[in-house]
Amino acid sequence: MSDARQILETAPGDEADVEHEFGGGVMGYTVGLGLAALLTATAFVLPALNLVWPPSLPIALGVLAIAQMGVHVVFFLHVTTGPDNVNNVLALAFGALIVFLIIGGSVWIMHAMNANMMNPAMHM
Amino acid sequence: MLGKLTWDAIPFDQPIPLAAGAVVALAVLAVLIYITVKGWVPYLWREWITSVDHKRIGVMYVALAILMLMRGFIDAVMMRTQQAVAFRSNGYLPPEHFNQIFSAHGTIMIFFGAMPFMIGLMNFVVPLQLGVRDVAFPTLNSVSFWLTASGALLVNLSLVVGEFSRTGWLPFPPLSEMTYSPGVGVDYYCWALQISGVGTVLTGVNFVTTILKIRAPGMTYMRMPIFCWTALAANLLIVAAFPVLTATLAMLLLDRYLGFHFFTNTGGGNMMMFMNLIWAWGHPEVYILILPAFGVFSCVVPTFSGKPVFGYRSMVMATMAICLIAFMVWLHHFFTMGAGGDVNAIFGTMSAIIAVPTGVKIFNWLFTMYGGRVRFTVPMIWSVAFMITFTVGGLTGVLLAVPPADFMLHNSMFLVAHFHNVIVGGTVFGALAGMTYWFPKAFGFRLHEGWGRWSAYFTIAGFYVVFMPLYVVGLEGMTRRLQHYDVGAWRPWMMVSVFGVLLALVGIVLEIVTIYVSIRDRESLRDEVGDPWDGRTLEWSTASPPPEYNFAVLPHVDHEEYYWRIKQAAARSETLPEEPHYVDIEMPRNSATGFVAAFFATVMGFALIWHIWWMVGVAFVGAYATFVAFAWRDHEEHVIPAETVARNDHARRAARAKALKAYSPR
Ligand code: HEM
Ligand SMILES: [Cu+2]
Repeated sequence: MSDARQILETAPGDEADVEHEFGGGVMGYTVGLGLAALLTATAFVLPALNLVWPPSLPIALGVLAIAQMGVHVVFFLHVTTGPDNVNNVLALAFGALIVFLIIGGSVWIMHAMNANMMNPAMHM
Repeated sequence: MLGKLTWDAIPFDQPIPLAAGAVVALAVLAVLIYITVKGWVPYLWREWITSVDHKRIGVMYVALAILMLMRGFIDAVMMRTQQAVAFRSNGYLPPEHFNQIFSAHGTIMIFFGAMPFMIGLMNFVVPLQLGVRDVAFPTLNSVSFWLTASGALLVNLSLVVGEFSRTGWLPFPPLSEMTYSPGVGVDYYCWALQISGVGTVLTGVNFVTTILKIRAPGMTYMRMPIFCWTALAANLLIVAAFPVLTATLAMLLLDRYLGFHFFTNTGGGNMMMFMNLIWAWGHPEVYILILPAFGVFSCVVPTFSGKPVFGYRSMVMATMAICLIAFMVWLHHFFTMGAGGDVNAIFGTMSAIIAVPTGVKIFNWLFTMYGGRVRFTVPMIWSVAFMITFTVGGLTGVLLAVPPADFMLHNSMFLVAHFHNVIVGGTVFGALAGMTYWFPKAFGFRLHEGWGRWSAYFTIAGFYVVFMPLYVVGLEGMTRRLQHYDVGAWRPWMMVSVFGVLLALVGIVLEIVTIYVSIRDRESLRDEVGDPWDGRTLEWSTASPPPEYNFAVLPHVDHEEYYWRIKQAAARSETLPEEPHYVDIEMPRNSATGFVAAFFATVMGFALIWHIWWMVGVAFVGAYATFVAFAWRDHEEHVIPAETVARNDHARRAARAKALKAYSPR
């Protein structure tokens, strides 16, 4: 096997590595699928069946959504805390930071503008 | 059958675009016929169009960029001449035409001139500097290029079929909504950018992966040349920012095609949200343009000063700091929108802070030159011109980032001068420096010094004469994008500015002459050894042009400036490093996927613009089928036998051994 192959083989997405890490392999995907389906179903069941105090529903849905993201990140994207995963974790952190900056910034900016410019939608 | 497309779309009543379009069409046809008659089609198809070699793709990106820069320059000439004559008169360009010209100018220059130039340089250089054989996803790379070309084609098609957007290089609503722009101009803009935007995101993914995951053995992060760092930062910005552009344009398209009201005046839409989103992409975008240029200067200045780059670690820190802070300043493009004093103050402060790492870099380049043996070659002339020019542009940027000042200067000619000052003086000078610097690596011969020097002098002088007057008229209150005006005080400055266009034109012609003369005299400009500038980074260790596989054996990097060290060691001992053991090399096979997919993407974009729905369906199926066919192929690589590798490398080593005798170690 030539040099080029050896190097290309460290590229992400190679199933060979995935088998051995946490959340990898067919078993990992099955567990992930189960968890994801469960979380999705719960998100529909909770409001429909009136199981919790209604005003707390948005928060419950938010928690479910974050848990869903966690399941995807661990079982499908294979971002774990292993030593060969530093890049992935950093990339995830970078992404989360940018999303936070853009969404948080947008909400702040638009809210401030609506308040200052007396947007009719805010003062009705 | 053909949706909105009728014969009315061809502007028979407007001689200028029709004549221009006819000339271009004839020229393209002539070139195509010439190529076919000469029998070059199979060669082009095999070696370029279907090539997945990062070097070839890089060269094609740069070629596309040069073509588009010249196309955009024609628009620039028209705008400057219009403003020179349109004093108390209507000039020669009617408003609707003038508006299309400034829109096309900005769009073409940013998306199809500056961006492809930078991406082309990264394509050519990054794998070579990292000491590897190709990028992480070679076929995807070809897809990226052809999708970019597809977008460029659509924009240029609008010249003769239909019309282009009249909203400026960013389609601000409500002007860009159906109510005020019922024509196909905005649709051309949006679909061209959506298609090329996919290509750009794929490039970002490809290069982030390449730099993080595929480096020569021993090439740790802190041993990467600065250009690789700036490429990493620029591509991280692409990956993070371009989806915002895509989503924003998608919302605008939903407004236009399906009657949504994200950004409309009525129905609860908010056009200010468009401002906010487009600049959340737009400011990172300007750093996508400038960071690779910073990388070019960080290669050129050390090489021609004969010293390692000053403050390597601070360069890395500055690059990554810019990458992060680029996402914290976007509001400075709409201080006047009315978000209020506290919001403006925070974003104004962040904008001033982002100038700090940039300043660090300027000082690092200066200190790299300080005490060095500086050779004023053409790339170095561009670099010095950049340092001076960019500092001025950065300072006016900081001035604009002071909210009270911006309330006076927003959307004035002062702003126009600022961003040309940084984009021309930064990105374009960097692109030309990089092109001259790496040209011998790509083609095996240098560009002619004498002609190149004069080209640089005229272009730089032209830049100053065009844009410095714009600062003055901006301070005198002239706003941007005026089709005509009646303020006498501005007139003389506009005349000076149009004279500068003439100087820049001379510079461009001289650049073309440079390339022509260099090709003619290529034997005397030949780079036999592969290291014409006494370079310091790995790309200069292989032959010029490099073989398809870049390196006969991958270098084992055990130090920063690894190539410089082994070169000095070899010169001192007067022997080359030991001959390596050569093995077979597997390289990815050519693929027509990129070209075919982009063909379908172009058809689909065109059909979407003109509402030809059946054609949209056909093209979509075609593009999808291309992708499936690619995914199903099972023969992905071809092998270059060890004997071929050895033969090529013996030739390289022989040339090196000869050159070694004449080389005095430092
Ligand atoms: C020193 C850092 C910089 C600062 C503080 C800065 C600040 C600003 C500000 C405040 C504006 C908005 C002015 C207005 O609309 O009233 C602006 C516009 C602009 N800047 Fe910069 N800038 C900087 C560097 C750059 C660089 C490096 C580039 C590109 C390579 C660039 C490209 C642009 C462009 C294209 C626009 C105008 C876009 C438009 O309105 O059409 N700037 N800059
Ligand atoms: Cu900005």
